[in-house]
Amino acid sequence: MVVDIPLAERKGLSWTLDAYTVGAAATPDGRYFVCALGDGTVRVLDLTDTARGFTAFAVHAGGIQCFAPDVLAGAFLTGGDDGKLISTRLDGSTGIVADLGRVWVEHVAAHPEAGVRVWAAGKDVFVLGRKAGEEPRRMSHDSSVGGLAINPKGKRLAVAHYNAVSLWWLAAKGQPQVLSWKGSHLQVSFSPDGDYVVTAMQENALHGWRLSDGQHFRMTGYGAKIRSLSFARRGQYLATGGADTVICWPFTGGGPMGKAPLEFGDRLNGPVVTAVAAHPKLDAVAAGFENGQVIVGQPGNPQVMPIVSPARDAEPDPVSVLAWTPDGDRLLAGSEAGRVHVVDFRSLS
Amino acid sequence: MSTQIPVTVLTGYLGAGKTTLLNRVLSENHGKRFAVIVNEFGEIGIDNDLVVGADEEVFEMNNGCICCTVRGDLIRIIGGLLKRKGKFDAILVETTGLADPAPVAQTFFVDEDVKRHTKLDSVLTVVDAKHVLQRLADSPEAADQIAFADVLLLNKIDAVSPEELDAVERKLRAINPFAKIHKTERCRIGLDKVLDQGSFDLQRIVEIKPAFLGGAGHDHHHDHDPHHDHDHGHAHGPAPLEHYHDENMDSVSLSTDTPLDPGKFDAWIGEVLMTKGPSILRAKGILNLAGAEQRYVFQAVHMMSEGGFAGPWPAQDSRHSRLVFIGRELDAEALKQGFLACRMA
Repeated sequence: MVVDIPLAERKGLSWTLDAYTVGAAATPDGRYFVCALGDGTVRVLDLTDTARGFTAFAVHAGGIQCFAPDVLAGAFLTGGDDGKLISTRLDGSTGIVADLGRVWVEHVAAHPEAGVRVWAAGKDVFVLGRKAGEEPRRMSHDSSVGGLAINPKGKRLAVAHYNAVSLWWLAAKGQPQVLSWKGSHLQVSFSPDGDYVVTAMQENALHGWRLSDGQHFRMTGYGAKIRSLSFARRGQYLATGGADTVICWPFTGGGPMGKAPLEFGDRLNGPVVTAVAAHPKLDAVAAGFENGQVIVGQPGNPQVMPIVSPARDAEPDPVSVLAWTPDGDRLLAGSEAGRVHVVDFRSLS
Repeated sequence: MSTQIPVTVLTGYLGAGKTTLLNRVLSENHGKRFAVIVNEFGEIGIDNDLVVGADEEVFEMNNGCICCTVRGDLIRIIGGLLKRKGKFDAILVETTGLADPAPVAQTFFVDEDVKRHTKLDSVLTVVDAKHVLQRLADSPEAADQIAFADVLLLNKIDAVSPEELDAVERKLRAINPFAKIHKTERCRIGLDKVLDQGSFDLQRIVEIKPAFLGGAGHDHHHDHDPHHDHDHGHAHGPAPLEHYHDENMDSVSLSTDTPLDPGKFDAWIGEVLMTKGPSILRAKGILNLAGAEQRYVFQAVHMMSEGGFAGPWPAQDSRHSRLVFIGRELDAEALKQGFLACRMA
């Protein structure tokens, strides 16, 4: 297959939404893509009617800081500079989940099966279950929260902050298990089997813990901040940004300790990978770069499929968001300047 | 990069007048849209979604540099603000009265995202003319904030006599010989004099005119400092070493007309910052390197430094090297010897 011309230019759809793409996700039925933007809007694209383009709904008074699919299918959570956590449906109707006043809601996560929503503002994390009329539970930390993740079973919550990850039981009261490691922990992610917790740190490194035996590990050698982490569907590897190739750490057979990563997209001293998203079904990873380029590749396979060409601007426009539909047929890529591309891989066959 | 957003850091002891200045920046029509990062909302009169509260969370970078502390909350907040790029033209960061300005400044040199999208414009310190001498006597942070400043706003001058004001100004000059000093009442000053100064922009550091010594006919500054036993620095032309020392801060100004050996200078300054970095708050230099047509401009915050050629020498200027250090317990004589040893043979 000759794939020199990027897919987005041959078969794709592109828009310029003129605001930072903070987050994006498809609905569980794969019919819609929903984006949250830095200008406070939530945008909805109906994939059965792409000619209409994105429909914009003004949701937050300030900017949007974080985004996650809500527990109900077809609803999406956004946290903003206005101190609010808001759930927006596809028709643009909204409900305020929380109003914290003069703070930013900086991180949000939800677990549909467990019916739980969590969000963070400053040093506090709030948890809300599905019981009607319930007050959110507050979990306080010594330092600001850098990231949140709910484990795949929906029972535990990892909160990344300075010098540690706090691991809370969502249903039980009490103090968290503290996974200590000096430094500032930013993004945090659980492996699909729930046994590993991995953080991206301020210092261009990953730190990880194996919960079953408390072993921990550190992965270094990155040239830049690792802004994105994505576990492969079955947990075989963890794809990461922060280098000029996509670095994929093996997580089978006892974890990544002492093993070399697999890479793809090798461009020595080229632009840095700023977003990664593992394919929901296949052994493939989408990767976006700081120059706006998007590729899809396989760990260890030097051949990659170009999806979006590098932007030809004076100023780089990093890819900030990548999202697959659940069937893996379509991919959305969004950038800091609001360039959004949607490609359909079925058009290849 | 052309679209780096300028950041002004506003420091000053409690009650010096920071809030007055902040409210002016937020309310006056000066044609610029500011995002303001405040330490607490308290007296900020304006409710604006671009006014953000910060926690002053200082942490050490795990990069082997013992003095490399940064403000984690600033990295976080600036990252968040950048999601609204285009909504504001400049950022103002207010610190608490007790804050050490170094971690704030270092944040702009250390974090790659912050560095890519913003540039530190200057450190602006508001000083209360009536109380500053007392603050200097009882709180080391006051000296840090003055020593760190690019611009000093000597405020509340209506509350002191001309003689007192003169003494305060001399004290400020002594601690920080390169800051611009503006005297104000109720922070009344054209905002163009305090914002957009380009103090960290090598291309804009055109001159360093240390005004240590009573160039304007003041008494020798050592006179009020009887326990002091150094003997140098008189106001006749650029002496190779001018030095001020007191219990709060040292400042050392070095100069020479002889071109410097680039290799020797590089090795020496590297060694100085490596070994003395933790006690050096700021350093700035404009240097005449042998074999180079252009001015070489150098600056440092603790161990972090940058240098580069910054255009031709002003025609009226002699090619004259000048290097200033501000810090604690600096060995002026050793710095002078080291500096002079960098001269071309």
